[in-house]
Amino acid sequence: MIDVLTDNFDRFAAGLWVTVRLVGISLIVAFVLGTLVAALRVAPSRLLRSLGGVYVEVFRNIPLLVLLFIAFAGVRRAGLDISAWTAGTLSLGVYTSAYVGEALRSGVAAVSEGQMDAGLSLGFSYRDVLRRIVLPQAFRTVIPPLGSITIAMIKNSAIVGASLLALPDLLKEARIVNSNTFQTTEAFFWAAVGYLLLTATATVIFRALEARYAIRR
Amino acid sequence: MGYLFDPGNWEWLWTERNFRFLLDGFFVNLQIAAVAMVIALIAGLALALLSLARLGPLRLGAKLWVDVFRNLPLIFLILYLALSMPQGVRQYWAENAPGVLPDALRGELVLAGILGLVLYNSAVLAEIMRAGILSLDRGQREAAAALGMNYRQQMRLVILPQGLRRMVPATVSQLITLMKDTTLVSIIAIQEVVRSGRQLSQTAGNPFVGGDVEAPILHVMIFIGLLFVLVNLALSRLSRRLEVRQSRRTTGRRVPLSEEEQAVVVAR
Repeated sequence: MIDVLTDNFDRFAAGLWVTVRLVGISLIVAFVLGTLVAALRVAPSRLLRSLGGVYVEVFRNIPLLVLLFIAFAGVRRAGLDISAWTAGTLSLGVYTSAYVGEALRSGVAAVSEGQMDAGLSLGFSYRDVLRRIVLPQAFRTVIPPLGSITIAMIKNSAIVGASLLALPDLLKEARIVNSNTFQTTEAFFWAAVGYLLLTATATVIFRALEARYAIRR
Repeated sequence: MGYLFDPGNWEWLWTERNFRFLLDGFFVNLQIAAVAMVIALIAGLALALLSLARLGPLRLGAKLWVDVFRNLPLIFLILYLALSMPQGVRQYWAENAPGVLPDALRGELVLAGILGLVLYNSAVLAEIMRAGILSLDRGQREAAAALGMNYRQQMRLVILPQGLRRMVPATVSQLITLMKDTTLVSIIAIQEVVRSGRQLSQTAGNPFVGGDVEAPILHVMIFIGLLFVLVNLALSRLSRRLEVRQSRRTTGRRVPLSEEEQAVVVAR
């Protein structure tokens, strides 16, 4: 059992590192876009609100695999020379941003309306009220759901790796080890350990964030 | 943008049987989703009850099972099952699958796909249901016990109807995720819509295969994505309507937890 790990340690480690980077970059994309989408969803203008709504409904309901085909094979066929990393992180980030946006929107809804009104009447612009008063509180109320979204993203990164050849993530390295050694269960067992390590780490980090920053209502 | 909206690039959709070909593939996704949803809901409830059992080892075992399977990537499970499923089982299914099933569901590897979907989703659903049950006030169970109900009656008549109803929205959004995840079985060579779409974009416009209208993969995949968006939107509308009717029938007040309350309950 252990020899499959020790013999192929470099492969597993490299795959794990690719997965970590893939998740890290996509996470930044998802949080930035998700925050923007949440801002759209609570905007005073009706047009902006429905624009945010369409964004969320489209990207929450489309399969990630289809999104990846659009972003990589589709865009390449259109003549744009997009790299696997760009297409992969963008797809995973955009897909997840719809969930982040929804979580943040419900967090904003939990911050009492009076705070928005108070901020506006003190002369803050809409942007400043969101940035300085509402969003910081919204983020703190929705730490647990953001944690589950991050864990979902770690799992979804395997879809990115499986559909884009040029991204040798943990699952792909496990498949290579499998085809080199024919020890399917062992190869997949060690990859499973890798994934569980990542999700457990994310759980611990978000528990700590929650204990430190969460606002309970 | 010109490339995307050029009508010439959409012509494949209404030439020959292309449209029908994709719909046939999508129908396979719907069937796989339906089968997996039913089994996953039943298995999820069983796991949720086990993870609340009074017997220590049983409870710990169920919890460990749920925590492992909901934290592994689904595609990882499907691939592993497809690679490790004994030849005998695969052959048996290919030869003895019930004739009422469509061809696509009688393939050798369909079992691996459905089993993967069920293993993963039953674990996630179990966690949702468990959270719903735990979110009920303790007084509910105590009152039921005081009325002389045994464990089964307490669960069946008092705890489950309330606990599960609270989690309807979270359950539906997981079922929507399941619907999207049926595309993952394309990786183990099951002829569903994404696989059909890839074939279409490779063969259409290819003089050796037939057809003289090209089907760019960008346009094919956008069309497939649209199919999923439509069906999933319908699913979530349906559940919202169900919710409203349920709450009217019962107390009149909104029974399910709000979306953010649920997310918090599940994440804990």
